[in-house]
Amino acid sequence: MNIVVCVKQVPAKDAPLAIPEGAAWIRETDIGFELNEPDGYALEEGLRLKEKHGGEVVALSLGPERSKQAIKEALAKGAERGVHVSDDKFYELDPLGSAQCLAAAIKREKCDLVLTGLQSDDHGFGQTGVLLAELLGLPHATIIMQIDAADGRLKLKRELEAGWFQWVELPMPAVLSIQSGINKPRYATLKGIMAAKKKEITTLTRADLGVAPSPTQRIERIYIPKKTKKTEMLTGSAKEAAAKLVEKLKHEARVL
Amino acid sequence: MPVAPQRETLEADVLIVGGGPAGLACALHLAALIKKHNESGAKPELSTENIYLLEKGREIGANQLSGAVMDPRGLAELVPDFEKSAPLDTPVTDDAAWFFTSKGAWKFPITPPPLRNHGNYVISLSKLSKWLGGLVEKTGVNLFTGFAGSSLILEGDRVCGVITDDKGLDKNSKAKSNYTPGYELRAKVTVLAEGPRGSLTKQLVSHAKLDGLNPQVYSIGVKELWEVPDGRIKPGFVAHTMGWPVPASMYGGGWLYGMQGNRVSVGLVIGLEYADPLFDPHEAFQKYKTHPFIRRVLEGGKLVRYGAKTIPAGGWYSMPRPYVDGALIIGDSGSFLDAQKLKGIHMAIKSGMMAAETILDALVKGNASAKALSAFKDRVDASWAKKQLWSVRNFHQGFAHGLVPGLFHAAFQQISGGRGLVDPMRAHAGHEAYAHLDGRKPPAERFKGDGKLTFDRLTDVYHSGTRHDDDEPCHLLVSDTNICVGRCTQEFGNPCQYFCPAAVYEMVEERGERKLKINAANCVHCKTCDIADPYQIITWVPPEGGGGPNYEGM
Amino acid sequence: MKILVVTEQREGQWNRASFETLAAAQQAARDTGASISAAVVGKGVGALAKELAAHKVAEVLSIEHDLLEKYTPDGYTLALKQVISTEKPDFVFFPHTYQVRDFAPKLAASLGRGMIADCVGLRHENGKLIFVRQMFQGKTAADVVFQGDAPWFASFQAGAFRGDQVEMGGTSSPRTVAVDLKPDQIRTKPLELFREAKQAVDLTQAPIIVAIGRGIKEPTNIPLAEKLAQAIGGEIAASRPICDEGWLPMERQIGSSGQTVAPKLYMAIGISGAIQHVVGMKGSRTIVAINKDANAPIFEVADYGIVGDLFEIVPALTEELAKSK
Repeated sequence: MNIVVCVKQVPAKDAPLAIPEGAAWIRETDIGFELNEPDGYALEEGLRLKEKHGGEVVALSLGPERSKQAIKEALAKGAERGVHVSDDKFYELDPLGSAQCLAAAIKREKCDLVLTGLQSDDHGFGQTGVLLAELLGLPHATIIMQIDAADGRLKLKRELEAGWFQWVELPMPAVLSIQSGINKPRYATLKGIMAAKKKEITTLTRADLGVAPSPTQRIERIYIPKKTKKTEMLTGSAKEAAAKLVEKLKHEARVL
Repeated sequence: MPVAPQRETLEADVLIVGGGPAGLACALHLAALIKKHNESGAKPELSTENIYLLEKGREIGANQLSGAVMDPRGLAELVPDFEKSAPLDTPVTDDAAWFFTSKGAWKFPITPPPLRNHGNYVISLSKLSKWLGGLVEKTGVNLFTGFAGSSLILEGDRVCGVITDDKGLDKNSKAKSNYTPGYELRAKVTVLAEGPRGSLTKQLVSHAKLDGLNPQVYSIGVKELWEVPDGRIKPGFVAHTMGWPVPASMYGGGWLYGMQGNRVSVGLVIGLEYADPLFDPHEAFQKYKTHPFIRRVLEGGKLVRYGAKTIPAGGWYSMPRPYVDGALIIGDSGSFLDAQKLKGIHMAIKSGMMAAETILDALVKGNASAKALSAFKDRVDASWAKKQLWSVRNFHQGFAHGLVPGLFHAAFQQISGGRGLVDPMRAHAGHEAYAHLDGRKPPAERFKGDGKLTFDRLTDVYHSGTRHDDDEPCHLLVSDTNICVGRCTQEFGNPCQYFCPAAVYEMVEERGERKLKINAANCVHCKTCDIADPYQIITWVPPEGGGGPNYEGM
Repeated sequence: MKILVVTEQREGQWNRASFETLAAAQQAARDTGASISAAVVGKGVGALAKELAAHKVAEVLSIEHDLLEKYTPDGYTLALKQVISTEKPDFVFFPHTYQVRDFAPKLAASLGRGMIADCVGLRHENGKLIFVRQMFQGKTAADVVFQGDAPWFASFQAGAFRGDQVEMGGTSSPRTVAVDLKPDQIRTKPLELFREAKQAVDLTQAPIIVAIGRGIKEPTNIPLAEKLAQAIGGEIAASRPICDEGWLPMERQIGSSGQTVAPKLYMAIGISGAIQHVVGMKGSRTIVAINKDANAPIFEVADYGIVGDLFEIVPALTEELAKSK
């Protein structure tokens, strides 16, 4: 089973975010980056499927030079090859534009499955997997908890809201967005890290791929939302305060 | 504990434990020496791919911090064009020494020679190491981040390598589904470059009885990195202060450095050999910031990062024997730090380079015995590193009884090439200095801070970026917690609650019983607890690799 | 200008977030003068369509087909694509549900258009609609605008708009819109839906969270908070120390090392408000803090605060909630 796993390198979860005034992206100096956590689950799923069914896992990433680090991590964990779509201005791409770049790279591969995480920790668009499916003309499913593959078909467990689940069947090739937390991603071992150095990473540009996306949306600016909060302290006995609170929650805050 | 796991083995020529300036300098210089060696056609041919470097932090520089004002001497030897290529923040433009009282500040009319810094650079050690790491990677050396050296592989007196950290154990040390046992990493030469109070170094020094004349003594440095409004401070402005809030009975002092981009490095150093077990270095540092001289610079600014680390201050006489069969000890782990100037980066780099030269010989001759590696000590003895360390060999010991005796001894040492009035001046391990509480009550409330200029420890810890898995074994091993709730409470009031700058240790009441609570996830890997606990029952071991602080820019 | 609101139903039951989307559309309509068409998709949805028509919308569309009875991304995409081609809306609004995440971007892309997903707000400025969404896991907000031609697709985060604020007084009669679907166009075979005790808790989806901190003192006191959670319809959660002790599972942890949540109501019980915890919940719409320390930093981020003994206040609250039901 040949699998392409899309991975993104994002600012570290605890990186302090500095936003230049009126800017549409954060300042990237002096912060650490890491593999997007949701993608880590997708990668682990891909590696397990390959171990079960044979084949290869290709790690694909769109981003600036530093994105190669995310690919290397995937290689160290067992992916066979990496593809880097090099783009310094990746943060200007809208979800459709990013997907178009990734789809063009995927079209060059013969794959049975394309796996993505649910969303990235930076943009958080949550659309990449679904858009890839449309652009590649493939069936898809999202929020996948479990994958059973046999005879060119997939049986998938999909998560719905409020504790509901559903099994669906799809033919392969297909695109799947993997739910976070469904597995414990493996550690890269010392041997894996050393082996990764010898694995191939192909670098492509938008020009190589013949992609010239037209934007469908634009982030005008990002900002830390200002909290104009005035705390209302409720006094009285426990009973009185509780009654006041329920009243406020019902009629003022209207959350009950 | 899981049943003795099946460990994969790897064999290296050289294994360097620690990706700080010492370890990286060793790797970089060794790679250059190997290249020259191979190019000359000499045999046996060596490969940089057989050099492994382990760094426990998630990336190079993540667990490193320093003030720092660096003497470029070491770097100039390692990377001759460093001025063009190294990430030096700013040359020192202005340096001054001050004496603080609680409200006043007196500038020393003449900056004492040890505190003169012209020709030096204000840097971020973390950035410097990150850059050095990049250079090392280019040479083909295998750099592994997120991997710790957990224990030594000892065969008799020979160091054969290290076992790396077990990954994927839960808080009860049971295997999780992604359990990956550590590797048995064997090497002809293992270099311990773990920084101050290295855990493997501690193990080796004890096992092979490598102690120097004096036990090692340490100081703790607590630091914050700030971004302040325009015009508050010039890049390259360097001020060192003595006096308030450090009591005269203690060794310590503060610093304030101006960096590019309106960044300010500010911190306080306290010798970990004070008598008051309830003294709180973090609180002292927060108070320090309220001094008008400091407040004037920081007010209205933003806290960017916080961190703490210990500094080996024992100097020459505390240096362990730095060689055994199969291993060398360099950098802070080997006491390569000028305690008078509080500068260790250039020393670390030099020690790493001298180790590299020694190792090349050992690899070529196929002999890494203690005798062969003792050439490292010979190189040290013949170098400027020894000259500098020798001239300040009694400095820190003079301060064991406070500021005034310290300055007194220092003056004599200054005019006698370091000899001073007593040579060698003996030192005692810092944890032996505590006086009993004798009924004194601990403070009712801990320092809270105003949240703008001063902060409580938890807020500061948040800004250290420290991260550990929720579900991993506790890496702070307390051998007998009965002492904690019994003797220690009585005699010293549980100083771990006060000396830890990260609020790791707490005495709590649970169901009417007093017990020690360890918030291991807060740990910033400073090693203060391992050093300063009065009964020496705390052993710091590396947690699962990749954990710890994120000292970006520090 | 026309806004098409695509509601969501399953087996004849509304996903109530659909009404929040209606509220969003009504706000946009007030600002721009647009008209609103509301659509129901499925099979045999006549009753739902009538219910929809009671709301203040210009028209209600019933999009029915046998192959739309069970949701599939192909079915919904192809059907709505046809509807959009004939109805020509400028905006297409959805509630941001698991199902919408599964097909709406595909629908937009099939028309060569883009989707701004998971919006938490909407503003009208300089004659333009600005969509506000969160980035960096809720740490920042982003103002996003559409580029290129209509139709423009957007989905709205649950709780961002108030479903109970939708204007009623609709007078239209639902109109059925025919769509053409063939079985071989539907590549997904949907099987049975089933319920399972979730192994992992997704606190990010909980609209109400009752979180406990060290003030709870003993694990034996946790049922107190659980009763409150039950009474108020919320999920139980905790600050790190509680999970570290093992009193609640790790998945219940809120904070910098746990989950980041922004429910419509967050109750912080016996939580001091250390920054490690606050960063995980300060985006919540309404925050209530109960703590016996009047100086606890949690009160700085709370909308409502009660200084007192949680062991008295929490039971009183639970009782008050039961009374008012």
